[in-house]
Amino acid sequence: MVMKNPKLARVAKGARLELVPLQVLVPVISTIIALGIGLLIIAATGASVLEAIEAFWDGMAGSDFNIGASINRAISLALVGLGFIFASRANLTNVGGEGQIAMGGMFATAAALHGAGGLPLGLAFIVPLAVGTIAGAVWGGLAGFLKAVRGTNEVISTLLLSFIALPLVYWSVESFHLLRKPISDVSSLPESAEIPDTTKLPLLFPDNGSPLHIGLLIAAIAVVVVWLVLKHSTLGLRLRAVGLNATASRRAGMRTSLYVILAMTVSGGLGGLGGAIMILGQQFYLTSDFSSGYGFDGLVVGLLSRGSAVGVVIGALLFGFLRSGSINMEISAHVPSAVVLICQGLIVIVIAGSAILTNRKVTR
Amino acid sequence: MIDEQMAVFIGSGLRLAVPIIFAATGEMLSERAGVLNLSLDGMMLMSAFTAALASWATGSPLLGVAAGVLVAMAVAAVQAVLSVTLRANQLVVGIGFNILALGTTTFLYREIFGPLSRDPIPGFAQLNLPWLASIPVIGPALANQTGLAYVSILMVVVTWLILKYTSFGLAVRAVGEDPRAADKAGISVAKTRYLGVLYAGILAGLGGAFMSVADSNTFTENMTKGAGYLAITAVIFGGWNPWYTLAACLLFGFATALQFLVPALQLDVPVALLLLLPYLLALVAIAGFVGKSRQPSALTIPFERGG
Repeated sequence: MVMKNPKLARVAKGARLELVPLQVLVPVISTIIALGIGLLIIAATGASVLEAIEAFWDGMAGSDFNIGASINRAISLALVGLGFIFASRANLTNVGGEGQIAMGGMFATAAALHGAGGLPLGLAFIVPLAVGTIAGAVWGGLAGFLKAVRGTNEVISTLLLSFIALPLVYWSVESFHLLRKPISDVSSLPESAEIPDTTKLPLLFPDNGSPLHIGLLIAAIAVVVVWLVLKHSTLGLRLRAVGLNATASRRAGMRTSLYVILAMTVSGGLGGLGGAIMILGQQFYLTSDFSSGYGFDGLVVGLLSRGSAVGVVIGALLFGFLRSGSINMEISAHVPSAVVLICQGLIVIVIAGSAILTNRKVTR
Repeated sequence: MIDEQMAVFIGSGLRLAVPIIFAATGEMLSERAGVLNLSLDGMMLMSAFTAALASWATGSPLLGVAAGVLVAMAVAAVQAVLSVTLRANQLVVGIGFNILALGTTTFLYREIFGPLSRDPIPGFAQLNLPWLASIPVIGPALANQTGLAYVSILMVVVTWLILKYTSFGLAVRAVGEDPRAADKAGISVAKTRYLGVLYAGILAGLGGAFMSVADSNTFTENMTKGAGYLAITAVIFGGWNPWYTLAACLLFGFATALQFLVPALQLDVPVALLLLLPYLLALVAIAGFVGKSRQPSALTIPFERGG
């Protein structure tokens, strides 16, 4: 019945064109070029490129611990990236991943510190995860609501919501009546107390020292669910229809504003889950800048994937390992990790600039 | 005592508003031509760093500003190629530039100045115009500004005149509202948009340079702290009108300055909440709860001839 609409029929046909080689080629080539430029910059500073690469490799995958830490990073990036592609299926650009992570992490910490610790049967960490997800969903959904009801551009509103979320986190870790840990004789840094052990995510390999936790399974489930919904469900088709032509979709009897709000809510919820997993999985206490950089990394992951859930996994692993490597490179080889930011910026610009090559087939 | 604090508050509010006024005024013209530069923050950051570097190297803050503006124009030129000629998504390109600018300036700053440098760089002196200082209450704050601060107001006037009374201004408005009709009337859509983006680059460059060589006499990592995003919001808030945009910039400047006034008055308001105030105001404004205004019809929509 839905397929009778010519617009939607075209959408269905477009979906089959998704995997033309150019769509894969462009992100791969631009990533390689950007990394090459990164190496040139390192060489230009006079640092030993080999030493830098060695430190980089060591930080990425030098030990079970480093591999686990890199994958843990990738888990949160993948969730933000999935959120990005979910919204972009409805032609919405969620650039507020940072704020959604921040809200998710903050509320997950609050839940873990206040009450969830004593719950039985794994609920101790499931409840904070859910609370974080809801917080992110509300933050994303707010942008969706403003878009649907007031026509507010979601790019600007999600950005502003991030700028609002970050001081809120700062406020929460700075105020004793909120999440700041009580003054002890050791230190009184503006950060929360450590969350109870029961609320920490169980480790997958507790014996070999790897910090890899069950967030990996959660992310894997999210990847499959998002892939199924976007590619193989009526909901995915409808989101796409709303994104391509809201007027036509409305005439076809769809409540378009509902889909806009839904897309942004799910998108934000995935970001919030990513933030909650960061706190419950590896950081264990809240600091004011715990989300720093993750939002943009997740955004780049989403962009690189060109709407494919598998692409998100690859991109998230790439950036998870890149981040770990760059941190170690700064510590061991004294090469500023900002090089990785330069590479990321270049990747985004090149991919956006080459859209003229890749989009043609789909739009015509 | 209270008077003194008010003067400091007004002075810092104005100083914080100046970079946003520069950037927002240029951005407004570019948006009237149909191009949104989310890269504004990156342009400002690149300019702030380049101006600091050039001023430090040559000893002349004026050369510093010139260098900063040139670099911001270079960023704007690439942004124009991508968003006008290659018809790329203007918002995504802008975010890419902001990441690139943050990485580049942080990297170069650490390589050139070292991570902990707080060396002051040569900057502009304040003018202290006596006739301005004699105005009660706001006088001292108005007079204690660098020359560049007055240039920002001058640029608002210039931009208003360009839009209203020149053929280029007419072209800008035509291209932003109905590029197809403008094209048929013999106006080059691409050329007009290129010039609009470059104009935004020049002014964003002035705004960024103001931050490093006029306001603080130093560069710090990520020193724009999202001022470019505030400028874009001010344009929306100001309904694409130069004077309302100026008012929005002043509002954001004073909202930001509250974080210094409130602790000084020993009011018990968390500073963190004051930090988010300008963004909250901006969100309320763009959500259209403060009067609805209409954006240029072709904003962010690339133009393809003969389509």
